[in-house]
Amino acid sequence: MAFRAAVLRHIRLPVQTLKPTASRAPSQWSLLRLFSSHDDHLTKEEVIDRVLDVVKSFPKVDPSKVTPDVHFQKDLGLDSLDNVEIVMALEEEFKLEIPDKEADKIDSCNLAIEYIYNHPMAG
Amino acid sequence: MAFSLRSVKVPPNSASLEEARSRVFDFFRKACRSIPTIMDIYNLDDVVTKSELRSSISSEIRKNSHVTNPKVIDLLLFKGMEELNNIVEHAKQRHHIIGQYVLGRQGLAQDLDTKDEGTSDFLKNFYKSNYF
Repeated sequence: MAFRAAVLRHIRLPVQTLKPTASRAPSQWSLLRLFSSHDDHLTKEEVIDRVLDVVKSFPKVDPSKVTPDVHFQKDLGLDSLDNVEIVMALEEEFKLEIPDKEADKIDSCNLAIEYIYNHPMAG
Repeated sequence: MAFSLRSVKVPPNSASLEEARSRVFDFFRKACRSIPTIMDIYNLDDVVTKSELRSSISSEIRKNSHVTNPKVIDLLLFKGMEELNNIVEHAKQRHHIIGQYVLGRQGLAQDLDTKDEGTSDFLKNFYKSNYF
């Protein structure tokens, strides 16, 4: 005990004082935080990229043929069941649930991109 | 979720081929939407991906693509719905799902080699799978 007290008496730790400006700068920004979800909507480019990735990763599709305005059945040689499968894959990718009547209409990359870009819940 | 599909009653017969066709797509969508639940309850995340399961469902459907009689399609749909109900209600075990839908008809013994070309087709089928 005596040894411990003797050691502690001779130890000095340098105390750093934080600069008040440096610590407060981020908190000013946090006051400006927006609590609305409207500003984090997907950009068109992001939607196009992700839709094309989904279509390209489909096993029966030749990735080199995929462009933003490709038609699933006419250009990629898929059938109607593949079409539904791609729409389901897009649903999974963007965490949507596309109603059946609208899912039937989506038969090309262009329509898919338009639909997802205009969907408020796409994420 | 697990029992929501049970309430599905036997639907009236499809009036036309077109109606039966759209029912097939509805069934496919329903099956695809239950894939996350299925992966969850059977712990399939480490053996298969969602898109692989989706493809295996569509290949099961495509196996019957030559059927043109709406009544037969209705029957097949009913069987498919029954199967889906059983799977979602956890009436099966993990290896049933893996055997039927992950490994598929190839099974564990896939003959990629040339060495057993002389073996009889009966034996090959026997080794392949017991799901027909």
